[in-house]
Amino acid sequence: MQIEIALIELGILMLALALLGRLAQRFGLPAIPFYLLAGLFFGEGGIIPITEAGPFVDVGASLGVVFLMFVLGLEYSPQELRQSISTNRLSSVIDLVFNATPGVVIGLLLGWGALGAVVLGGITYVSSSGVIAKMLTDLNRLGNRETPTILSILVIEDLVMAVFLPVVAVLLAGDSVMGGVVSGIVSLTIVSAVLLMPSSAGRQVSRVMNTSSSEVLLISLLGVVLLLAGLAEYMHISYAIGAFLVGIILSGQVAERGRALLEPLRDSFAALFFVSFGLGVNPADLVEFIPLALGLALVSAISKFGSGYLAAKKNGFAAKGRRRAGVTLIARGELSVVLAGIAIAGGINSDIGPVTILFVLILAIGGSVATRFAP
Amino acid sequence: MEWLIKLVQNVFVEIFETPLPGIGIRYEFDTQAGKHLGVLVHRDGQRDVLVYCDDDIDSCNETVRLSTSESASLVELLGGTKITERLSDLKHEVQGLSIEWVSLEPSSFLVNKTIGEGRVRTESGASIVAVVRGTESIPGPGPELVLLSGDTLLVIGSQDGVIRARRIITG
Repeated sequence: MQIEIALIELGILMLALALLGRLAQRFGLPAIPFYLLAGLFFGEGGIIPITEAGPFVDVGASLGVVFLMFVLGLEYSPQELRQSISTNRLSSVIDLVFNATPGVVIGLLLGWGALGAVVLGGITYVSSSGVIAKMLTDLNRLGNRETPTILSILVIEDLVMAVFLPVVAVLLAGDSVMGGVVSGIVSLTIVSAVLLMPSSAGRQVSRVMNTSSSEVLLISLLGVVLLLAGLAEYMHISYAIGAFLVGIILSGQVAERGRALLEPLRDSFAALFFVSFGLGVNPADLVEFIPLALGLALVSAISKFGSGYLAAKKNGFAAKGRRRAGVTLIARGELSVVLAGIAIAGGINSDIGPVTILFVLILAIGGSVATRFAP
Repeated sequence: MEWLIKLVQNVFVEIFETPLPGIGIRYEFDTQAGKHLGVLVHRDGQRDVLVYCDDDIDSCNETVRLSTSESASLVELLGGTKITERLSDLKHEVQGLSIEWVSLEPSSFLVNKTIGEGRVRTESGASIVAVVRGTESIPGPGPELVLLSGDTLLVIGSQDGVIRARRIITG
């Protein structure tokens, strides 16, 4: 690596991201789709390909996934997760069935095989908690009565991914179906253990880690999350999920302060992750997938609206509240890209890259715009 | 027992509490004039005062963001010290007793069971002394009363007993 070239490339990349971020902000749109576009721009076949900084971007992208999932986990406590599950059990089953089906069916029709179809099902299933939570805040809708239902569904989706991702990771590694089943049981056990863990245990861990120095706290948190994420990956549970679970276990002051300390790191490295995903896709390949992605996005938008509407109806909200819940949940984002990234790293059908980029572009932007204008 | 229920109802309105995963807790209640009001307590101490729309009951007309010190000032203006006085009155009158309103979630195992079957008093030592069902209230319910989802139960006992009872009722 020629360090001066690498630095210059990274500088230009970051400036481009900053510019795009401003643009997104001006129009009240999420930044994720713009970062993906930047990746296309700087990637192979793009206008200014990145060469020397490549290895850094690769590692940075993995760090981005770790921080993204870790901070997400820090936002939830086991009690909140348990409560969300117990109040929205039926709605989350409907959510899973409605929204995984389009991806699975279309994956099978495309001849991507069972595994490819399941991955595409996961991509169409999971809404973007990042994009949606930010929209609810920006639009002053946190106080709305349907908002807890929306947030609960997002929380449960994130948890479902914690079981789903490890299974996909093992199957991708070429292990037998039996290996996938074992991995599924292992991750389900770990997730349940984390959920059922008495809150005193979480407080204990957090008390040991707490220190008055922000610097020491930040470095301890980085050490713990990187070590455990790496171990999780070694055990085929997927490092993304390792980081997520560590975040859930930590609670109280450590979680509160950790979130504030890690958010800037997450924002910078997650941006690198989205860019790196775009880097892997040749923009020229996108064109042929546009009709497919449009169709997939349309069906997934309708199914998400339906499941969100029903969940709000079941919790007793009026017509407008139901429509808002349905529309708000349409936005897909970071987790769809994380899942596709893991699947591509595992050597799955490479068509999934361009399809995911287009799908997330359409639904992150479309979902945000629709939410803004929802009744 | 009826004086006690009246007393509790006079000091407090019934406040509904909903957790917002990742954000905080929202409290809401209806005013006598028919307005729906709420307060969103963020984890970082920020508070949003929520005024709900009349025609779209699930959304807010107005969200007023208050910092910790601003909400302290508002509480002062609204007579927070008076509430504390009345609270200590209440404590005085029922020394040694703990009182709590517990609402019966649809997920509770007590739903559609009689009070007797629920064995709350046997297990916790605290009693269910009243049940509020919609606008109707049932003071001094017998063991044969069937509890329904959405009921609010008034539980009285020692402090520990009430905590145990709450745990049994919320499942």
